[in-house]
Amino acid sequence: MTTAHSERTAAPSAEDAAASGITDSAWIETALGEALSPGALALRAARTRLMLLLGLAGAAVLVLWWHMLATSPALNLQLQQVQDGQLTLQRSADPALQPAWGQVLRAVRADGGPPLLVDATTLSRSARWQVSDAARQIQLSNRERLAQLLQQPQVTLLFDDGQALRVAPQPRGMAGLGPGVWLLGALALALFGAGVVVLLGQPSRSSLLFAVMALAEATNLLLISAETLPGWGQPTGFAAWDLGGRLLADAVLCVALVQVMMVYPRPLAGLRRWALPLWLLVPALAALHLLTPVPGLWWWAQGGMLAAGGVALALLLNSRRQEANPLSAMLLRLTAAAVGTLLLLTLAIALADSAGLAQHLVATIGSIVWHIFVAALLMLSPFLSRTRKAARELAMLAGVCTVACSLDLLFITVLGFGQAAAITLALAVALLLYVGARHWALTQLAGASGLSAERMFENLYRAARELEQSPDRAGEQLTALLREAFDPLELTRSQRAAQRSRLAADGSALMVPVPQLGPSDATAGTIVLRFAHRGRRLFTSEDLRLTERIIEQLRRAVAYDRAVEHGRREERARIAQDLHDDIGARLLTLMYKAQNPEIEEYIRHTLQDLKTLTRGLAAGNHRLSHAAAEWKADMAQRLAATGCDLRWSFSCDRDSQLTVVQWSGITRVLRELVNNIITHAQATQVEVLLQVERQRLQLVVSDDGCGRAPQGWSHGLGLGGVRKRVKLLGGDVVWRERQPRGIRCEVQASLISERTEPT
Amino acid sequence: MAVKVLILEDNPVARSFLCRVVRESFSDTIAITECGDLESARGQIRIAGGASGMHGVDPFKLILVDLELPDGNGMELLAELTQYPATKVVTTLYSDDDHLFPALQRGADGYLLKEDRFEVLVEELQKIVRGQPPLSPAIARRLLTHFRHSRNDAGGPAPESGFTTPIDFAGTTTPVPIEKVPDHERLTPRESEVLTYLSKGFTIKEIASLMGIKWFTVNDHIKSIYKKLNVSSRAEAAVLATKQGLV
Repeated sequence: MTTAHSERTAAPSAEDAAASGITDSAWIETALGEALSPGALALRAARTRLMLLLGLAGAAVLVLWWHMLATSPALNLQLQQVQDGQLTLQRSADPALQPAWGQVLRAVRADGGPPLLVDATTLSRSARWQVSDAARQIQLSNRERLAQLLQQPQVTLLFDDGQALRVAPQPRGMAGLGPGVWLLGALALALFGAGVVVLLGQPSRSSLLFAVMALAEATNLLLISAETLPGWGQPTGFAAWDLGGRLLADAVLCVALVQVMMVYPRPLAGLRRWALPLWLLVPALAALHLLTPVPGLWWWAQGGMLAAGGVALALLLNSRRQEANPLSAMLLRLTAAAVGTLLLLTLAIALADSAGLAQHLVATIGSIVWHIFVAALLMLSPFLSRTRKAARELAMLAGVCTVACSLDLLFITVLGFGQAAAITLALAVALLLYVGARHWALTQLAGASGLSAERMFENLYRAARELEQSPDRAGEQLTALLREAFDPLELTRSQRAAQRSRLAADGSALMVPVPQLGPSDATAGTIVLRFAHRGRRLFTSEDLRLTERIIEQLRRAVAYDRAVEHGRREERARIAQDLHDDIGARLLTLMYKAQNPEIEEYIRHTLQDLKTLTRGLAAGNHRLSHAAAEWKADMAQRLAATGCDLRWSFSCDRDSQLTVVQWSGITRVLRELVNNIITHAQATQVEVLLQVERQRLQLVVSDDGCGRAPQGWSHGLGLGGVRKRVKLLGGDVVWRERQPRGIRCEVQASLISERTEPT
Repeated sequence: MAVKVLILEDNPVARSFLCRVVRESFSDTIAITECGDLESARGQIRIAGGASGMHGVDPFKLILVDLELPDGNGMELLAELTQYPATKVVTTLYSDDDHLFPALQRGADGYLLKEDRFEVLVEELQKIVRGQPPLSPAIARRLLTHFRHSRNDAGGPAPESGFTTPIDFAGTTTPVPIEKVPDHERLTPRESEVLTYLSKGFTIKEIASLMGIKWFTVNDHIKSIYKKLNVSSRAEAAVLATKQGLV
């Protein structure tokens, strides 16, 4: 619970934000806000202390309650209801009663007092779930009389067969409270704890209301726990207190529920003035109950609860219409489940009562199961986005149990089945329901992951590959991935940096920091996703983990690629350095010592080729415009040295990156063509047209020299080299005669490089 | 009196070739001192008045420095000779800007590519000595980047030159320094215009006609850029040294 608390610190802003309904930067700021001032830290410490104190207080109340139950006198015997509300003694701890085992208990009497006729109304069943007013009055008075009798040191039990056995009422003692009391007490404490944690973790109106609801339901659970006491007899005055306490708790629960839905997940406009009248309703009802016995009390109580549930549902539907917040969808489902089961239970009890059949069974078991179910839902609701699957499953199971009980009673009452048959059938139906609806309901609760693992992997792989090409765009890639994975209603980028991914606004928003994958740090910031799956589900801690995994994978992909590329570059640079230093220096010496100009020129070209090669190795990609500038400057200089003019025109539709292969290929083709012109053509003007359009390269080199009939040229090293290079680029080259004089060489090639080409 | 020239080159064949280039380039009487490594070159410079080029002695007028030397890099010597009043030329096989730019920053007045033909080398050397240093597109790009910080207040970008993708070297969002940038760290609009054209492969003649000025004016701009690069680089180094507590 403390983790839940610490994780919820970002949430207080949620409601303010929900009020405006937009993801503005202020909302993000507050939702992101992690920086805790010393004052905030002190406040937090104070809250933790208060939480601890309240928890201890709750535990103390529970212990007092147990103490009261343990010290009240009771008879340690087991009674069973048979036909006509008569009770038979099943067994007893006191051996003195053994002769009467199996006998119908007629009456109980204290020394000198009038006998109390014993029937089912004296059993510890809550008057709250008694349909008929008359029966309730008898039940209350009989139980009170029994409690009074048990205060005596000795009572006499009168049996059907005439036996009168004297027994002494004994306190149960802590050990004799029975498992039901312990378990329900623990559940009540846990619910109370959840209320305290939510209230102190995130003090706001809605969490206060939640705490009130938790407190009311915990009271109900405590009162229920007294019903499960083993033995016969309850403390004096308990029956009346039990009725009043339960009615009060139910009323508070209902009012708080309606109020919660007015402010959460979205404050509904114009409903604020209803808050006070609603609260005033509670003491008014209490006063009415105390002053006059209300006719049809059970009907009023059930009707009131169902009406409150209906109002809550209507409010939720209204809120959902205004904003597709997954929280309201979730609350709608939970409230509908609770109200639906209550309706079913009410119908079953009413029908059983009208049929005059086993109504006490439905009422006792049904009401207990329903309250436990509601308690489970209450415990679950604040932690929806963090709840483990097991807890959800438990809530689900409780719901199915309620349905099973209600069905069981329906079968017995309406269809007139025998008890065994009804229970079997109800269990079978409930089991079927559970198996069939479990998956659907669980995914509805958590929200299904809209993306199959396969598709997720595919997306991740694609994003990683694209990131390798452009690590600067990590934010965009991540945004696309998250959008695909969670399909949120709102997705915004904030410039503010966050330390780690986190859930905000009770799971309706997810904050994901953009990892700094690229060399520049301009892309850092936070991605804020709100309302997953078009507002149909909440972000869960699983989603958080998934997001962190995604980021981790992207980071790894980029790091791996960078390492590989780094290694490659180092290796290439080393080879280039060696080639250049060793072979280059030797070629240079050789060139200076050349016997004739022809050999000297040949070696010079070899040296230039070597330099192109090594430069291509050492450098990475070349920008097309930069390469074109180099080519032009180089050609202009070399042609100028031979007194030849260069007319150069270059155009491209996109300044793409040339791969090493493309760059060195074009460089050498151009150099070879110019060499050819310088050596053979005796031209005065060379025209170069270089055009790149839609990844197609067109290169035209024409001269006004004396070359003729290119078909007849012998393709030695030079022109053969040009052909080879162009072919490597996936293009072709032709030489034509030009009018009135000169040669025109046309090269066509494709510059579409494979995306996997190393950068 | 003979003009003194120092040639620092470890390959004897290349050295004698460079000697021929130097003799061919100038009509004066030439006294060439040849060195094979940094150590002997430093010795020769000490004899001729020291690294700062003291008056009264006869310093070298021209120094050719190879970059790759047996006992170090020619760049070291260039760094020592920033105050030396000679024309310093880098002779190298490395034509890429990664190797040449640092040499220019250390005060080289130009560079020769050793594999060029004899006539080309002679012409290039004459040009450097006359004050018409070469500037390849790659180095022009580097210079633009180097001076980018002070580019904002140096006037608008150069006019569109017909290339479809002009180099974007000044985004509007670049912060403007409040402090006035020293002149030596700032290019004039004309200078940066020249550099932009050079980086796109235009020849000096073409630039002159594009800008409507004489070619030697273009040349003056290039010379001035060279000087500014050297000065600003030294200022940068000094700042760096101060920061690191070396001075």
